[in-house]
Amino acid sequence: MLENYLPILVLVGIAFAFAVAVVILSRLVGPNKPNDIKLAPYECGMPLLSSARDRFSIKFYIVAVTFIVFDIEVAFLYPWAVVFKQLGWYGAVTMGIFLFVLIVGFVYEWKKGALEWE
Amino acid sequence: MLSILFYLFATVAIFSAFYVTKARNPVNSALCLVTTFICFAVLYITLDAPFMAAIQIIVYAGAIIVLIIFVIMLLNLGTAVKKRYTHALAWGAALSVIMLFITNTFIRRGVPTGKLGDVTTQMIHSYGHTELIGMALFTEFLLPFEIASILLLVAIVGAIILSKRQV
Amino acid sequence: MISVYHYLILSAIIFSIGTFGVLTRKNAIVIFMCIELMLNSVNLTFIALSRHLQNMDGQIFVFFVMAVAAAEAAVGLALMIAFYRNRESIDTDDFNMLKW
Repeated sequence: MLENYLPILVLVGIAFAFAVAVVILSRLVGPNKPNDIKLAPYECGMPLLSSARDRFSIKFYIVAVTFIVFDIEVAFLYPWAVVFKQLGWYGAVTMGIFLFVLIVGFVYEWKKGALEWE
Repeated sequence: MLSILFYLFATVAIFSAFYVTKARNPVNSALCLVTTFICFAVLYITLDAPFMAAIQIIVYAGAIIVLIIFVIMLLNLGTAVKKRYTHALAWGAALSVIMLFITNTFIRRGVPTGKLGDVTTQMIHSYGHTELIGMALFTEFLLPFEIASILLLVAIVGAIILSKRQV
Repeated sequence: MISVYHYLILSAIIFSIGTFGVLTRKNAIVIFMCIELMLNSVNLTFIALSRHLQNMDGQIFVFFVMAVAAAEAAVGLALMIAFYRNRESIDTDDFNMLKW
């Protein structure tokens, strides 16, 4: 059973070693002569408009909350989908109630205009 | 092999958990929290609970941390200014060490026995972990499952009312 | 050989670290993250004991804990945003409007 996860472990090991190696090698081998233009986020591109650390609009937060709630909903759907054939109509009805309650929340959000971008 | 895996990921989990409490920049704390969550997912796999490991990564590392980092960006929180809070540090450390000591004593003295269920390792491997979770969720735990939907509904409504300026 | 005790001790350690963070930090978001840490350590206890007692109930509980944690994250962080709007800070020292 656990042997199935060996490739993932190898991948994690290689990724970790690669990340560490790249950081150390570039520190050791690369020349370090910084100036203002080189340290800019886009070295050859648009000039900066303002700092990236600016405050975002609250709209993004509402989208993120919608995402997190429906993420949990999908997490509940996985075990349901796997045993759907054994449950039959019983499973369809119970999941229907669950989805209906969450859709009520979604409709509320829609009607309140939380999804409008203006 | 299993013990090496356990000790490796337990050590990483403890150190990154400690760094969550120590890092001055909240973004660093959040990233260390992701490391802890992934280590926990690995430990769930060693406990023959692959579905819980997947859900751990999807829900915690994928959704909750995204929301936390989002709020850190939204509020544009900088690095904490170094204030003197040695009293709080000493009291907090003392209290948590005492708690660790007490729980440790109870764990070492107690014997976790009880009526053994019927879910053996053999059964998990042949029937499948997700199937077992699904059958338990939709037969024995149906009412909590439906109540969870109401909880999520309340979460949506509450978050919208709190975050919108004029509702 | 790794027994259930190892997992319980690990989760006790992580829980204590979470308590330490909650008691010593001032940034409300970091405190929130420490609470997530404590919830996770309890989840580990649930799963370890569920495996030890060969019963599925503990893992279902973990599922519900995760659902509650997500709802908590949505509402709690919205509260922090609402607080930040009024006070321009989420330092726990500034949570003093109800003080008499």
